[in-house]
Amino acid sequence: MADLRKFLRERWRYIDAMLAVAVIVGSLAYIYDLLVGSRGLDVAYITRNYGLYVHAVLTNVYATTIAFLVGMAIGFSVGWLRTARTMPLAKFVLSLRAERRARSEDREVIKADSGFLIFFSLLWYGAKYVVRRIGDGFVEIIRGTPLYVQILFASSFFIVFLREYATEGLLIGIITLAINTGGYQAEIFRAGLQTVHSGQIEAARAIGFSRLRAMRYVILPQALRLIIPPLTNEYIGLFKASTFLFVLGVQTEISYIALHEGYAGDVFEIFAMVTAIFLAITVTLSFVVQSLERRFRIPGLGIEAVRKPRGVKMPAPVA
Amino acid sequence: MIRVNDVQKHFGALHVLRGITFEVQKGEAIVIIGPSGSGKSTLLRCINLLVEPDSGQVFIDGVQVNRHGIRHEWVRQQVGMVFQSFNLFTHLTAIDNVTLGLTRVKGMTHDKAVEKARELLARVGLAAKENSYPAELSGGQQQRVAIARALAMDPKAMLFDEPTSALDPEYIREVLDVMTALAREGMTMIVVTHEMGFASNVASRILFMDAGKIVEEGSAEQIFHRPKEERTRSFVSKILR
Repeated sequence: MADLRKFLRERWRYIDAMLAVAVIVGSLAYIYDLLVGSRGLDVAYITRNYGLYVHAVLTNVYATTIAFLVGMAIGFSVGWLRTARTMPLAKFVLSLRAERRARSEDREVIKADSGFLIFFSLLWYGAKYVVRRIGDGFVEIIRGTPLYVQILFASSFFIVFLREYATEGLLIGIITLAINTGGYQAEIFRAGLQTVHSGQIEAARAIGFSRLRAMRYVILPQALRLIIPPLTNEYIGLFKASTFLFVLGVQTEISYIALHEGYAGDVFEIFAMVTAIFLAITVTLSFVVQSLERRFRIPGLGIEAVRKPRGVKMPAPVA
Repeated sequence: MIRVNDVQKHFGALHVLRGITFEVQKGEAIVIIGPSGSGKSTLLRCINLLVEPDSGQVFIDGVQVNRHGIRHEWVRQQVGMVFQSFNLFTHLTAIDNVTLGLTRVKGMTHDKAVEKARELLARVGLAAKENSYPAELSGGQQQRVAIARALAMDPKAMLFDEPTSALDPEYIREVLDVMTALAREGMTMIVVTHEMGFASNVASRILFMDAGKIVEEGSAEQIFHRPKEERTRSFVSKILR
């Protein structure tokens, strides 16, 4: 009995994973039985065609991954921009006036200089304000419109303004997906960056880090750990959304389904293949991400406590 | 060493600092006491420019630091700061907390930085804990790592913002011991604290602040036992009991 318990405790992670797979496989088997139970699976059809679908999904993975990475750059920049606080205009003018007063005490500063200063300060303030508002608008537009419409819009845009590239479906698709996921990731990054305690920034600044380096070495490493789950979500969502690219003539599963004998009879086989391929990829991804999370977990922090069997006294860590 | 001249600070409509002037000599340990909301923390933050004064001047080693042409990053390397809530970098081990500034701000090589960090951790009595993450350390240990982190930048002076207020009573002693040792070694320090024992043992002078002004300044003996001002007297009587 004690042996069994020990075995369970040590191997639980693997048993857990196997159980999860079993549940997925079981439910699929049930659906299979429901749909083709009596007819039998058309294995010949699958062996004849599965290469096509694997190829299509690899195109998806390729498009999604590039779009996702570009989207991360967009998302981080816009998200960071949106965490910045702009001061109200009245306060800004006040600070300018205080600055001028302080400067007029320095005798070496001449009047013309302070005129320039005010001009450039206003310009800087205005630019910052405008860029921030553009960031806000970008996120709202991306979130507020369907991806399908965005893809159609992008393709029309290319047809009208960049005709020579209009037939590059994959290129247009990747650009659209990147911009789309950028909008969503902006919010993910903003959440991550704002969740890092402000004391961390203060501490980094207090030992002489510039704003940029504090972001690079202190804020971002913590924020990235926090946003691994939503980013994975976003990647999987984008991966599935990338099947929409058939609109642009990219050969994705849906276009194969439409082209093939799909309507004729072997519908289940086609869906079975697509389901299997997609699940294989997303489930693998989940496991990879889980191990990433474990790898980068900050010891002693977060809800995942160190597993300690009840009633067993752990030996003190060797220092 | 540090000179603050007529510093004013507003937060919106709130007038936090109403003309603060004082001077700290090299090797002095100044303790600032006062009721909460009197502007003590803001004053410390004005010295290393985490908060920029609205007007007035801050001098460090004779250089006015709150003016154009002086990089804030440079100023902050001159004065170390220790916070009430430690603010250790949660994703780094104790030793990495100390070396981060050395390698990334000062451009020291990793090996040299580790060597120096080990020395500093030993100095605050935490040589054995160098590979622990902040969440695995007690409050007192975290604060001592934070002191080591600040010392690593070779500051000319140290600012302590209520370093023991967030600690359980059992851990206060160890942090105060480190601070006392530091003061004895001749570090210039400005400490905001309510630890009256520490103040009377270590402080060369005590400033009593209230409502954004320095109300009274004097030796520990004088402030605690023979305060001149009525406000000082009522505050001291409350905390000494």
